[in-house]
Amino acid sequence: MTIRFLDPIEVEGTRTSINNDPEFRLAAKFFSKDILLVFGESQSIVRVRDGKVEEILLNPAPLDPWSFYVKASTESWEKFLRPQPPPFYNGLFPAMMRQTFEVGGDLESAFAHFWAVTRILDIIREIQNK
Amino acid sequence: MAKLETISGKYVYIEVHGIEYRVYFEENGKGIPLICQHTAGSDGRQWRHLLNDSEITSLYRVIAPDLPYHGKSLPPESIEWWKEEYKLTKSFFIDFHVNLSRSLGLQKPVYMGCSMGGHLAPDLALERPNEFRAVIGVEASLGVTHPAELQWHHHPRIGNDFRAHAMSGMMAPHSLEKYRRETMWEYSQSGPPVFKGDLYYYFIEHNLTDSAWKIDTSCIPVYLLTGEYDPATSPEDTRKLAEQIKGSKFNEMKGLGHFGMSENFGAFKKYLMPILKEIAGS
Repeated sequence: MTIRFLDPIEVEGTRTSINNDPEFRLAAKFFSKDILLVFGESQSIVRVRDGKVEEILLNPAPLDPWSFYVKASTESWEKFLRPQPPPFYNGLFPAMMRQTFEVGGDLESAFAHFWAVTRILDIIREIQNK
Repeated sequence: MAKLETISGKYVYIEVHGIEYRVYFEENGKGIPLICQHTAGSDGRQWRHLLNDSEITSLYRVIAPDLPYHGKSLPPESIEWWKEEYKLTKSFFIDFHVNLSRSLGLQKPVYMGCSMGGHLAPDLALERPNEFRAVIGVEASLGVTHPAELQWHHHPRIGNDFRAHAMSGMMAPHSLEKYRRETMWEYSQSGPPVFKGDLYYYFIEHNLTDSAWKIDTSCIPVYLLTGEYDPATSPEDTRKLAEQIKGSKFNEMKGLGHFGMSENFGAFKKYLMPILKEIAGS
């Protein structure tokens, strides 16, 4: 499976889609954190500053800083990103509960900004299925 | 002419463990009493579609209370509740429902609850089988076995958005967004400690692993319904409970999540109605 979010050609469009999303703009108030997204062996960092995605960094260096991470196998992401995901892959919380996705690092920030984080993931799903 | 619903709301005073509570409930219909218990951290608004369903209210007097500390049921006046951590215990939850039924003069009501209310269905069947005509556990299990990260549900730097958006993923993608969002809205409105306190019963006090087999369905019929998309209590979890309760009836609800009655009432009713007709006909 090709994850469009990880395609360098898609990065700027993804960033724009997130920043133009009316719900994300509401959800991301006071949000300034770096989210490490781990897709099996692939990684990216979504840098959010003052409620806007400033940068999406593909293939970050090992010491690039991040605040919290969302991590899953490529098989789990493939299920998560389907237009109608199977049970327990339809949201970050159920995937965490069933331990197919892991959230770690600064959990307080991850949960304080959970609305914005889950909206980013929903937009990644929407882009995947365009 | 005003557009009015036939649901009415009232307050009843109920004593539980020596403390008086002013309890709000909504009701509609005539017939067999059907008590509907909301989920943890929410309130009786979750049952509004059922309360308005004329097919159900022609057979049943539907009663949806707000548990004390929830919705319009305020904390009690007689204690300094703000000096204690809010925790829902099994004994309080059981005695609340027995006393609610007695206070309203109900004759052997049917009990139905979802999530923590679903867990209570087999607890009532085990501990107070003579008080109820039948119990319907929606999203019920023997006990929840996956890790309970309760501290994040009451935290000074994590707002009620977290609860709402955590619950978003507990519903099926098939359910209409407007009703999923309404369910989330209700979840964002409980008092700060309430969801975590309710989960004390849900995760810790409810445990029928060694006792579910004692439930006698010849005395009190037990019906179980669980949504395909419920990550908290999966259909497999409920199946294990059903296997322990001889004579119980379990049905997996396809295309539904943790909140059938509020996320997609039409789909939920297809599974519920045969049960309500069976109870009414027995």
